[in-house]
Amino acid sequence: MSAVPQAELLLVGWDFRTAPLDLRERLAFTPDAIRAALGNLREEGLLAEGVIVSTCNRSEIYGVSSSEDGDGSRLSEFVARFHGLPEPELRRTSFRHSGAAATRHLFRVAAGLESLALGEDQVLHQVREAFQVAAGAGAARSVLHRMFQKAFAVGKRVRTETALSSRPTSIPGVALELAQKVYEDLASRRFLILGAGETASIFYDLILSRGARRIEVANRTLERAQALAARGGTARRLDEVPGLLAQSDIVVCATGSPQPILKAENVARALDARRGEPMLILDLGVPRNAEAGIAKLENAFLSAVDDLEQIAARNRNEREADIPRAEAIIEEELTEFAAWFGALAVVPTLTELRRRFDAVREEAFDRAIAEMKDITPAQRERLQRVARSLVNSLLHDPTEALKSEPDPLLRVLRAEAVRQIFRLDDERGG
Amino acid sequence: MHLHRQPPGTPGYDLHVQVIPVLSLSGLVLYALAEAYAVAALRTNRPKFDRAAAWCLGAGLIVHFAALEVRGRILHSVPYRDLPDSMSLFAWMLAASYAFLLLRHRESSTGAFLLPVVILFDAVALATRDRQGPPTPELRGSLFALHVTMAILGYAALTLAFVLAVLYLVQMRQLRLHRMGVLFARLPALDVLDRLQRTSITAGVCALAVSATIGLVRARIYWGTIWDAKVLATFVTILIYLGALASTRLGWKGRRSALLSIVGFAVLLFSYTVVNLFFTQEHVFR
Repeated sequence: MSAVPQAELLLVGWDFRTAPLDLRERLAFTPDAIRAALGNLREEGLLAEGVIVSTCNRSEIYGVSSSEDGDGSRLSEFVARFHGLPEPELRRTSFRHSGAAATRHLFRVAAGLESLALGEDQVLHQVREAFQVAAGAGAARSVLHRMFQKAFAVGKRVRTETALSSRPTSIPGVALELAQKVYEDLASRRFLILGAGETASIFYDLILSRGARRIEVANRTLERAQALAARGGTARRLDEVPGLLAQSDIVVCATGSPQPILKAENVARALDARRGEPMLILDLGVPRNAEAGIAKLENAFLSAVDDLEQIAARNRNEREADIPRAEAIIEEELTEFAAWFGALAVVPTLTELRRRFDAVREEAFDRAIAEMKDITPAQRERLQRVARSLVNSLLHDPTEALKSEPDPLLRVLRAEAVRQIFRLDDERGG
Repeated sequence: MHLHRQPPGTPGYDLHVQVIPVLSLSGLVLYALAEAYAVAALRTNRPKFDRAAAWCLGAGLIVHFAALEVRGRILHSVPYRDLPDSMSLFAWMLAASYAFLLLRHRESSTGAFLLPVVILFDAVALATRDRQGPPTPELRGSLFALHVTMAILGYAALTLAFVLAVLYLVQMRQLRLHRMGVLFARLPALDVLDRLQRTSITAGVCALAVSATIGLVRARIYWGTIWDAKVLATFVTILIYLGALASTRLGWKGRRSALLSIVGFAVLLFSYTVVNLFFTQEHVFR
């Protein structure tokens, strides 16, 4: 008789802490690869359910195992085969969790606690997409569905109830937050970007993504400004800047000029023309591109790289201080999920218990029949019925006790007790 | 609607008089709760505190309105007989204008700063209130009700503008000094504060102007003269605020506009308290 498999949560993963970048690149799954891998995993009987989370920082396989792969080594063998990578290296660089530890890891990922940039938002989105791909392929059903829904809830709660994701920790992020505290709607504002180098380019893409449409780029060499402006904006020469200032709500300085190129007198004149409309100047240049005197002008708000870096550092500290609160939320949701998952164990336990009793009954019945040589078919039938009813009566109370316990945790404890008393786990693999 | 007159000493009158303190006190407690939740929301940024503050504010507005309604029934007029009455009505309108900000603009961070004013005025009104009989004939009628309502609505809107102007200056200071604390994150952008403040001033000046016009007409009828310290103070107030609005058009946006709004509020406060209590000859609360 085969043992009823005990569903177990499994996780095998590689992230930036355990695996180098080049290996992570080779381990990455495209959505199509995810669908193919999930199909193979289920066909091979390695997993009953599965979700693959693959980002530039991590590749993780979450699964409900229907076989005995306690340490997930068969999963890592599978990945080695799937990607054509050396198995020992994968084994060495992976981390493997099962049960509550696997769930806790997923919740920590969703909360942004496992991210390179603590509390980042992107990862929750990526986890959601990974789940949708798996759900679309029919690989994420009851258990993983529940587990990932909980993970989304954790991600949302951590982001609203703690400071883990509330404040930006990168310089462009801080700069954008500042801009949005002067002008709420950035899309309708006019930007002037001085410089066309890498910093300018990063900021350009950032404000484009916030819907900004009126962007002017001024640079010493016009060609480079034109290259940047091709993304959606107007290229200007540096000597046009004084004339452009009056109409610019947000000025971003990112040139490599050794001298300040944004003069206080020009800004003062522009502010007069702007009639009290504030102007935000973000000086990302090193050395400074904007004269320090600008900070004293009424309705001018000047922030240099140092200021932004200080704010970013303060925000990082704030985030770190809130890690315990995020972890408390995770444990809270984990307890709830574990209780639900544990309750699933009741039904298989009851099935196994009945099988065990039926086996004993059949054995005893066969032995008894063998001893009784002159038994009529009617008597034999009657004996069979008595034996069955005996088993049913004996099973009635334990079944009720397991099923009717309203507290999921107690239900799990009782199921566990039944498994031990009747040695249900001894049969496994036998 | 004709209200039955309930003179002092009758059971109906006494019941009303007894129920007012209970309602007023409940309203005050609800405002205080709303303030506590608003401060908690400001500190922790948890949406559930914002929601709790909004519910307490709503409940406070309803209970407070019931108190005003009962008081109005006793007086057979808008409850505006004396300074405590007007303070209570003012507190209600200020709370209502914040509720409007909350519903219309989803702007919740102002609440923690505005509700203390509401609580202060409501508490003083509650502490200094005395029982009084029906008003004299000149203090009745729908025109008088409109005059009073508009005046207090104007005061409430201009108080809101004052709080917004102060928040503008606070937010501006934080931006300049790069103090990006919890308050910085929770307060709206400068342009939003500026816009809301100007809207409040416009509403306040319009209401005051309507009230003053009605007041002048009535002054001619009942007093025979329109010259009174209160009238003068009100006109100075209106002029300053009109100046603030006009200067915005001319380019005094941002900080200067906020400062003008604060000056205007100082004059308003003077007119509301000192002038009312000591200088006015005719415009007293009898």
